[in-house]
Amino acid sequence: MRKLLLTCFLLVLVWANPLPAEQIEIDVHGMTCAFCVDSLQRNLRKLPDVESAEVSLKRKKVRIETTGDTVDIERIKETVLDSGFTPVKITPLDAQ
Amino acid sequence: MRNKLWSVLFLLAVSLSAHTAYAMGLRSFVALPVDKGGKVVRLQYQRNTDTSTDVLVTNAAYGISGKQTLLFGLPYRLSPAGSDRTGDLSTLYRHIVWQDDTAAGTSRLGLLGGLVIPTESDRDARLQAGAVATFYKGRTEWDIDALWIQGIDDATNRARYDIAWQYRLSPAVYPDWGIGQEWALDLELGGRWEEGNTMVHQATLGLQSVHRQWVFEAGVVQDLNGPDDTQLIFSTRFHF
Repeated sequence: MRKLLLTCFLLVLVWANPLPAEQIEIDVHGMTCAFCVDSLQRNLRKLPDVESAEVSLKRKKVRIETTGDTVDIERIKETVLDSGFTPVKITPLDAQ
Repeated sequence: MRNKLWSVLFLLAVSLSAHTAYAMGLRSFVALPVDKGGKVVRLQYQRNTDTSTDVLVTNAAYGISGKQTLLFGLPYRLSPAGSDRTGDLSTLYRHIVWQDDTAAGTSRLGLLGGLVIPTESDRDARLQAGAVATFYKGRTEWDIDALWIQGIDDATNRARYDIAWQYRLSPAVYPDWGIGQEWALDLELGGRWEEGNTMVHQATLGLQSVHRQWVFEAGVVQDLNGPDDTQLIFSTRFHF
């Protein structure tokens, strides 16, 4: 019985804590005011596998968190371009 | 005296613009970048305090791509009442032909072309063509645009130019992450010309409250020559 409970507990733990999401930082040039960059943030969030996207006007970067390890870098670049900006560098961040 | 004061204010602003950036002035609607599939609607109330005329101008923009945008504008006279209250529909296609993005800002040049479609059968259409340039760096933005509007048949020729300088008052430094509210000062010099008249140059002083999906802005427009009219502008725009 204890073994069964332990197995269930471990299964719940695994189910509740999926593999850590991958974080990617994109250096974006041409970002200006809040009104201008909001569209970039929203468009990135619409992408499949993108869980969150945060913009830093100070650092001229966008940080996105993906739900899996299959990230379509080309699609991300295209989204930045379609939003009117220029993607310069894409850096995967190490999971902490 | 009042005109001189406006001129001095504008020149002062120009001289302070060593830094350079923002998101479009009050008088023009052709500089705003619009993302692919993005839609922007602006409602602008204009009150001419000398002629007691109230006009509501509705503008809309649609982003075909990151570099191609459709722009529309339709004025409607709220008062005085009477006939011909709806102005002509301005349609413009903007193509950004050059863009240089840097970490500090952006420079863009766009070409404009379109039609002014009459909303009354007794008016004729016009063709319009022009250009718009944006230079953004640090806290300052310059937007410069000019349009030639060629009358067809009985319609008169027109021309206009706008030079807008915007300075981000707040925040002085952006937060590390996230998008917050911004305040910007807007100073503009513009000109409106219609065939048979001299060009009326106008100075504008405005303030913009910029949020993620909407902007509220207000300003005062003073003729520097000609009719010597003063206008008040209250405007809001939304990004969908």
